[in-house]
Amino acid sequence: MVKYLSQVRPEKQRELVLLLLILLVVIFFAMMIPNYLNARLFNRVSTSVAIMAVLAIGQTLVVLTRNIDLSVGSIVGFTAYFVGQQLSHNNEIEPMVAVLMAIGVGALMGGFNGILVAYCRVPAIIVTLGTMALFRTLLVEYSDAQTVLTVNLPQWLLDFPRLNVLSHGRLHLRFVVVIMLAVVVLFQLFLRFSSFGRKLYAIGSNPEAANNAGFPTQRIVLISFLLCGALAGLTGFLFLARFGNITVVAGIGFELKSVAAVVVGGVNIFGGSGSILGATLGAILIDLLENSLIRWLQISEFWRDALLGLLILTSVATDSIFMKRIRLYWAKRHAPSTS
Amino acid sequence: MGWEGFLLVVLLLIICVNSFNSLAFLTVENQVNLFVLSVEKIIIALIMTFIILNAEIDLSVASMMGLAACALGWMVESGTSTSTAIGLCLIIGLVGGAFNAYWITIVKLPSLVVTLAMLIGFRGLGRVLIEDRSIRVFPPWFENLGQQPILGPLPLSILIFLVLLVIAVVILQYTGFGRYVYVIGISQEVATYSGVRVARVKTILFMVSGLISALAGILFSARLGSVRGDMGLGFELDIITMVLLGGVSIFGGAGSIYGVILSILIVLYLRNGMSLSNVTGHIQTGVIGVILILSAMIPNIKSWLESIFDKKYAP
Amino acid sequence: MHKKIISILTVTALLFGATVMAHTIAKKGMRADLVLMPKFLGILVFDQANNGAQEAHKELGNPGKLEFLGPTPENSVAGQIEILTTATTQGQDGIMISNNAGDQIAPAAKAARAKGMTVVTWDSPIPSADGEQLFIAQVDFNETGMVMADMALNIIGPGGGEFAVLSATPDAANQNAWNASMKEHLKDPKYSKIKLVDLVYGDDQSEKSYNQALALVDKYPNLKLIMAPTTVGIAAAAKAMQDEGMCDQVKVSGLGLPAEMVSYTLNGCAPEFALWSFVDLGYLSYYATYMMATGQIEGVAGETFKAGRMGYYTIEKDPTRDKGLRVKMGPFSVYNKDNVEAASK
Repeated sequence: MVKYLSQVRPEKQRELVLLLLILLVVIFFAMMIPNYLNARLFNRVSTSVAIMAVLAIGQTLVVLTRNIDLSVGSIVGFTAYFVGQQLSHNNEIEPMVAVLMAIGVGALMGGFNGILVAYCRVPAIIVTLGTMALFRTLLVEYSDAQTVLTVNLPQWLLDFPRLNVLSHGRLHLRFVVVIMLAVVVLFQLFLRFSSFGRKLYAIGSNPEAANNAGFPTQRIVLISFLLCGALAGLTGFLFLARFGNITVVAGIGFELKSVAAVVVGGVNIFGGSGSILGATLGAILIDLLENSLIRWLQISEFWRDALLGLLILTSVATDSIFMKRIRLYWAKRHAPSTS
Repeated sequence: MGWEGFLLVVLLLIICVNSFNSLAFLTVENQVNLFVLSVEKIIIALIMTFIILNAEIDLSVASMMGLAACALGWMVESGTSTSTAIGLCLIIGLVGGAFNAYWITIVKLPSLVVTLAMLIGFRGLGRVLIEDRSIRVFPPWFENLGQQPILGPLPLSILIFLVLLVIAVVILQYTGFGRYVYVIGISQEVATYSGVRVARVKTILFMVSGLISALAGILFSARLGSVRGDMGLGFELDIITMVLLGGVSIFGGAGSIYGVILSILIVLYLRNGMSLSNVTGHIQTGVIGVILILSAMIPNIKSWLESIFDKKYAP
Repeated sequence: MHKKIISILTVTALLFGATVMAHTIAKKGMRADLVLMPKFLGILVFDQANNGAQEAHKELGNPGKLEFLGPTPENSVAGQIEILTTATTQGQDGIMISNNAGDQIAPAAKAARAKGMTVVTWDSPIPSADGEQLFIAQVDFNETGMVMADMALNIIGPGGGEFAVLSATPDAANQNAWNASMKEHLKDPKYSKIKLVDLVYGDDQSEKSYNQALALVDKYPNLKLIMAPTTVGIAAAAKAMQDEGMCDQVKVSGLGLPAEMVSYTLNGCAPEFALWSFVDLGYLSYYATYMMATGQIEGVAGETFKAGRMGYYTIEKDPTRDKGLRVKMGPFSVYNKDNVEAASK
C-alpha cells in the first residue's frame, strides 16, 4: 500500500477512487433494482453525460486558475437558441458551420467574462453572477421570448441524437458520446503536455509566484475563460440537438451542475490541481446517481439534489483533509536529494 | 462619506426620474407595494451585509428560504398547527446555518463551496418534502399576515424589516460584536492573534443567516398563500447586488450598513420604476446584473479616481 | 279582424324576440388601456393569443394601449402578482389574465377591482373566482377531461394498459381542472381497462418535460401512453419518445399545436391530440374585456354580446366551479394524421 502511494501521483489516485466509486454505485443499484444493467441505462447515461461532461471540462479550465464561471448556463441557453434560430431560418446551413457558430458565440461571451476578470480585476464570482443575469436577458430579448420549434429545424439536427457510431444489439455508441470523448482526450492531453497547461496549473497554485516568474497571467486567464465559453457554446449545440424546443429558461441550473461535477471530480476549488479526466468522472458519477435514483422506486427521486449537495461537501472535505496528507507524503518521498 | 454621498445623489436622481415618468410612483400605495413585493430579499440583505463584511459569503440563503417554506407547507398539510410549524421552521433555519458553520469553521472549507453545495442541497431537501406539488392549505389569518396593514399602511412584513434594520445598525455600528465582524473581515489572522473568537463569530453569523432566510421563506409563503419547491430561485443576485452596491467590499472588512440601506432603496426604486414603465422582468434582471459588476469595480474605480486626483494635485 | 290580430301578434312577437335577444354590438373607437397577461412569456400559444387580441384591438379602433406583459417561467406566480399590482398602480382600465397563480392572485385581483379595473381571465381562471369578473373558457373544462379519456382509450385500445399524465405547473387552474375531470371520467366502466399510474409536472418547460417523459418510461416499463395536456409537454414527450426509439411502445397524446406536432403525428409517435384556436381565444377575450371596460356590457349572467367576426356569445354561470361566470368559446378540434397537415399551415 505504502509502495503504491509513493508510485502513483495523488491526482491519479483521486481518479482511481472516482472510478471505484462509480463501480460501487453501479453494483449497489444493480442489486437493488431489477433489470438495472441493460443497454437502455448505458444509452441514457451516456447521452445525458455527454452534455454535462463537455461543460464540466470548460469549467475545469477556469477553476484551475482559481476562478469560477457561473454564467455557463446562460451561455448554453443563448448559443442553443441562437444556433437554433439561424437553422430555423435557413435550413441549408452546413452542420460544421452550425457547430462553429455555436463555439464562436460561446467564445465571445466567455471572452467578455475573461476581460472583466483578468484585466478589470473584478472577482470571477461577481462577474459571472452578473453575466449570468445579463446573458439570460440577452437571450430573452434576442428571442423576443419566442420558442425555437422542432418543426423548423433541419432533419439532420433532429436525427443527430440518434446517430450511432457503433451498435451492438441494443447498445448504442452515439455520435454525441464520441464528441464528448474526443473533447476529453484532447483537453486532457493538452493540459498535461503543453506549456499552456502547465502555466494554467501554476497560476492556480500561486498567482503571485506566477506573476513574479513573468507569466502572462492575465492573458492566460482570459484564454481559459474563452475556452470555457467555447465549450459552453459546444454544449449549447448538443443541447439544441437533444431537446429541439429551446425556451428562454434553457440551461438554467447548468452552472451549478458543472461546478458540482468539477468539485466531485477532484479539481481543487482554489485552483492548481485536478484533471480533466477527474472532472469527466465526476460528471459521470453525478449523472449515474441521478438516473439510478429515478429508477429506484424505494426512494423518491427528489433526494437527488439533497444527496448531490452532500456529495459535494464530502468530496471537497475529503480532498482538503486527505489530499493534503497524501501530497505532503508524496513530496517528501520524491523531494530531490539535497545532500 | 464619499461612496454613501454618491449613492445618495444616484438615489435622488432615480426618484426624480421615476416621479417624472409615472405619477403613481410617489403614492403611498405604490411605495408600500414596492417594499412588500421585495421584503424577503431586503431582510436577507441585512444579514448578508454582516457575512460579506466578514470576508465570507452565503449563497444558500435563497435555498434555505425555499426549504423553510416547503417545510412549513408540509407540516401544515400533515396537520401541525400553523403557529407551531412557523416556530419549527425557524429552528430549521438555525440548524441549517449551523450545518454551514460546521463545515466552514471546523472542517475549514471555503464558504463559497459550502454554501454553493447547500444551495443545491437545501433546495433538494425542500423538494424531498413536497416533491413537485404546490401546497395551499394555510389558514386565512396566515395569508393576511403579509397583506394586512397593521401600523398605518404598513403590513407586518415591513415592520419586521424595520425592526431588523434597527437591530442590524445598532449591532454593527455600536457593539463589540460588530467590530469583531469588521476585524475578522480585514484579517482573520490578526483577529485570531488579538484574541477574537473567530469560529464563534462565524458560527453565529451563519446561524443567523439561516434563521433570517427561514423567516423570509415564511413571509414569502404568507404573501403568496402557497409554497412550491422553486420559490426564491435566483434571489441571490439581487441580494448580493444590494450589499456590494452599498460599498461593502467582496474581500471583507470595508463598507457600512448605511450604504447598504441606500443601495437597497436604489435597487428597489430602480426595479419599481422599470415596472411602471412596463419594462419586463428579464431586462430588470439584466440591469441588476450590470449594476452588480459595476459595483464590484468600485474599489478599483475609487483607487483609479484617487490616483488621478493625487496626480493632479500633487505638490 | 284576423289580419289585425295577426299583425299585432307578429309585432308583439318581434318586440318580445328583440328584447330577449337583446345583444350588444361593440361600439368602436372608445378608449381603454388594456393589458394581456399570459402565464409566462415564451410559449407559442400565448403569442397566438396575443395576435388575436391585437387583431381585435385594431378592429375596434381603440385609441388606448394594449400591452402584452408576462413574467419569466421560473418566476411565474410571483411575477404575475407583481404585474397585476403594477397595472393597478398604473391605473390601467382592464387586464386579461391567463392565471398561473391559483388563488394567490385573488387579493391582488380584488385590489384591482376596488380601483375600478376590469379583471377578466382567459385560458385559466382564478379557482375561487374572487376578484375575477368573467372567465373566457376555451372549452368546457369537464368536457376536456372526457376528450382526454376518450383519446386515451382510443390510442391504448380495447386491450387496456397503463398511462401517465405529464402536466404543466401544479398551480395552473386549468391543468388541475382538466386532470380532476379526467380522473372523474375514468371512473366510468367504459374506461375500466385503462389505468392512470402517475401524474408528473413538466412546468411548461421543454427540458424538464423531456426529462420527465424519460423518467416516466424508466419508472413504468409497461407504460403505453403519455397524456400531456400542455403544448410544451406534448411536444417534448414526443421528441423524447422519438429520440429513444420508443414510439412503437409508448404513444403520446394530449393538447398540442398542429404546427408543433405535425411530424410526430405523421410518424406515429402522437397519433391523436386535440386543441382549440388560441388566436380566437385572445380575440374573444379582448372583445369581452373592451366592452366591459368601456361600460358597454356589465358582465352579468344572461348578457349577450357580439364579438366581431366570431359571432354572439352569452355570459353564463360557470358550471365547473362553485362561483364565477364564464363565456364558453368553442369546440375542440381533434387532430390525427388525416387533418394535421392542413391544420399546421
